[in-house]
Amino acid sequence: MFDRGEALALLQLGDSAFPAGGFAFSWGIEGLAADGHLSGHDDLDGVIADHLAQRWATMDRILLRRAWRASDTDAIASVDRLAEATTPSAEMRDGSRRAGRALLGVWGKLAGPLSVAYRERVSADARLGHLPVVQAITGRDAGLGLDAAELVSGWTLITGLVSAAVRLGLIGHIDSQQSLARARALLADLLTETPDDDAMPSSFTPFIDIAVSRGPLRHVRMFTT
Amino acid sequence: MSRLALTRIDQPMTAARVGIGGPVGSGKTALVERLIPALQARGIDIAVITNDLVTAEDAERVRRSGLIDPARVSAVEAGACPHTVIREDPTLNIEAADELERRFPGVELILLESGGDNLASTFSRDLTDFWMFVIDVAGGDDIPRKRGPGVIRADLLVINKVDLAPHVGVDLARMQREATDVRGGRPVLLTNCRRGEGIDAIVDLLEREVLFRT
Repeated sequence: MFDRGEALALLQLGDSAFPAGGFAFSWGIEGLAADGHLSGHDDLDGVIADHLAQRWATMDRILLRRAWRASDTDAIASVDRLAEATTPSAEMRDGSRRAGRALLGVWGKLAGPLSVAYRERVSADARLGHLPVVQAITGRDAGLGLDAAELVSGWTLITGLVSAAVRLGLIGHIDSQQSLARARALLADLLTETPDDDAMPSSFTPFIDIAVSRGPLRHVRMFTT
Repeated sequence: MSRLALTRIDQPMTAARVGIGGPVGSGKTALVERLIPALQARGIDIAVITNDLVTAEDAERVRRSGLIDPARVSAVEAGACPHTVIREDPTLNIEAADELERRFPGVELILLESGGDNLASTFSRDLTDFWMFVIDVAGGDDIPRKRGPGVIRADLLVINKVDLAPHVGVDLARMQREATDVRGGRPVLLTNCRRGEGIDAIVDLLEREVLFRT
C-alpha cells in the first residue's frame, strides 16, 4: 500500500537540497573525467552502474543493514570500525567519514536521539562516522523503515554522481534526467534481492578507488572526493 | 528562570565565527592575511577556514604565510557551489569549524573565507555570527548601486584597494556614501590591504560587536 507519509519523508530526505554536504562529493567522477575515463553520458552511466552494483549494493548497503540492526551505540561503532577496515583507500575512508559526519551533524541539530548519542561517540573517535552507518542511524531517527532508508542511501548516491557530472560540464540537464532514470531502474533491480544478515561488506571498483585516491595529487579540484 | 540561566552557563563556550565573502579578486585572502596578525596582536586566539573554488590555493597561501600554525587552517571544497557551502548547505563548514574547536579548545574566533563569488552571495546565520563582504574600487564604483544581497545584508561592507581609486577613475567619497546609503547606514569601512591600512578599524569593530570586549 502507498504510504503517503513515508513517500513525503523520502522526498525530503532524498532531495539533493537536503543540507548534508552531498554537493561537495563526486565520488570519483571528477578524477575519472580528469584522467580521460569519463566524457559523456554513456561513460557516466557505466560509472554509476559500477558504483551501485560493485560498491553500494555489496558494501554500503551491507553496512547500513548491519548498523540498522545494531542494538546500541557500541554495536553501531563496531559496524563503523568494519567500514573503516574494509575501505582500503584512505581518501575514500576520509570522504565517507566527512560525508557521514556532516549528515550526523544535521541530525544532531534536529535532535534525533540516536544521532545525538552517536555524535558524541564520533566526536571522541576520529575513525568513526562512515556514511552508510550514519545513514542507518538517521533513518532510524527519521522513523523510516529499512527499505526506505536503503532507498535514500542509494538514491542520494545517484543524485550526487549525476549532479557532479552536470557541474563538471560532462552532461547537460536533459542527459542528467535520462541517467537518473536508468540508475533508478538499476537501483530498484538491485533492491529486489535481500542480502543475508551475515553478509560481509566488499567492493570492487578499482578505477573509481584510484580516481578518488589520486584526488590530493590534483592541483585543480572542486570536489572533496 | 534560574534553571534556564544555569543551563546556558553550563554550555561550553564556542568560538565566534566570522565570514568573509566577496567577488573574485576583491582581496578576501589579503584581508585574512592582515587580520591574522592584527587579531593575534590583541591576544585573540584564532583559526581559519577557506572555501577555495577549484584549488587549495588560498588555504596553502595562508598556511605558508608563516602568520599562523598551518594546522589551524582548514580547507573545505565547495563542489563548484560557493553559494551553497556558505548558505543553503553550510554543514561541511560547520563540521570543519567544530573540528577546529575540538582540536584547539581555546580558539575564540574562526575566520571563514568564502570562495570568490558574485554580489548575491550571503552567509547562513547558522554558520556565522557575523559576516563581512569585500568589494574593491577597481571592480567599479557602481557596485554599491547594484544593491546585491552581499553588499546590502553583510554586517560590514569593506571597500578594498582604496589606493587605486584615482587610477581607475573612481570617486571614493561618493562610492562610500552610496554604499552607506544602500545599507541604511550600517558599517562601511575602507581598506588598503596591501599596506595594512584600515585593518585596525575592522578589528576594533570585531572586538566590540563580535567578542564584546569593549
